[in-house]
Amino acid sequence: MNRIFKLTALGLMLLVLGGCSATTTIDEYRSSTDLVELKANEQVVVLGRRDAGHYETDGEFIRCVSKRMKGADIGVVPENQFIDAIYPWFEPRTAPKGLPRLKRLMADPSVKGVVDQYALRYLVWLDGSTETLDQGGSISCAIGPGGGGCFGFAQWDKLSVYEAIVWDLQNLQEMGRLRVDSEGTSYLIGAVAPIPLLTPVKNDACTSMGNQLKSFFTAE
Amino acid sequence: MINIKLSKQTMGLPMVLLLIVALSGCSSSASVRLNSEFPTVLAVPKPVSASIVFQEDFSTYIAQPNDKTVIDIGDAQVKLLKNVFAGLFDQVEYVTAKDQINGINSLVITPSVREVQVSTPSENYLNVFEVWIKYSLEIETADGETIDSWFMPAYGKTPDAFMYSKSEAIEEASIIALRDAGAKLMLDFYRIPAIYGWMMEQKILEESP
Repeated sequence: MNRIFKLTALGLMLLVLGGCSATTTIDEYRSSTDLVELKANEQVVVLGRRDAGHYETDGEFIRCVSKRMKGADIGVVPENQFIDAIYPWFEPRTAPKGLPRLKRLMADPSVKGVVDQYALRYLVWLDGSTETLDQGGSISCAIGPGGGGCFGFAQWDKLSVYEAIVWDLQNLQEMGRLRVDSEGTSYLIGAVAPIPLLTPVKNDACTSMGNQLKSFFTAE
Repeated sequence: MINIKLSKQTMGLPMVLLLIVALSGCSSSASVRLNSEFPTVLAVPKPVSASIVFQEDFSTYIAQPNDKTVIDIGDAQVKLLKNVFAGLFDQVEYVTAKDQINGINSLVITPSVREVQVSTPSENYLNVFEVWIKYSLEIETADGETIDSWFMPAYGKTPDAFMYSKSEAIEEASIIALRDAGAKLMLDFYRIPAIYGWMMEQKILEESP
């Protein structure tokens, strides 16, 4: 009887935890079928787009993707270090939104000098955000003389949509685009103690984007 | 939605103290002093000389965009503008009053703050804090002839309101707004029609790269 109870509890737990995984879709477009070449001494910089009015690609996501890429022996220049070194040409107001502006910027010897100093070969623009789409349920917590507890159930859906655009700073052309959509539902169960069952939507988006970017570049 | 019901009888002194500490974290007032350093601008200055007048009310400027917010931006904005003007002009002097000007430099620029505005998530219904700094630059020739009075707005916002206290968020947004002011000045100063016309008149454009 005890064994049946344990198996049921384990099955129930697996079912609940299974419900906490995010669904992630990755789209990739390459401008050519050739592999993107990255020499051992060359580096990449990952920058967040920050010119949209209602959201901003957050630094935490940029650092997460950069960390994933670094793990694959790809040299990644920290975002803040590059933006400060090239100030004010990659601020939200001045950052190039397209290749024509990048070409004009790279024609400036001082800007080109910084790019050469860091041996930067590729620039990856990341644009996107994580939003809460829908939330429902209710949970109440109370404290009394005999103790306290939480009762109820709450759930919320999160959606992460991020797009990466890869620019070649040597040939001043676009190498490709990647898009990651990650969606999942998190739960909070109030059964005396509040039990959070969180779906790491943003983390999944970061892992997928980082892994995909890793495979995008080939180290020589 | 989370409802917390507290029984009054069970709340001892530790509970009251805990509640006070927790609620003080939700305080809606903010007093911020900006001490940030700004990166050197990446630019080749044009062959123009200028005297920059940082009047005392500018270098000690403390903004009070509303009853509950105070931002001391004086020091930081002087640091930023010194940095940017050094990237715009090949010869530049900084003075605190017009009577200290050496008279050799061809432009005299007096910056001032017109207004500072702040917007919080409860006001803008976005998950960000926003800061606007509206500057005015009085640009004159060495002879005191006005070239232009240039309005220069700058904007900064936090990436996310989450994990920030109000003071930290306003500080972060103000620093971004100051950086934006530097970017705007670098990008647009020589595009001001009156400045462009004056440079054509002085034949400066022909000399500069």
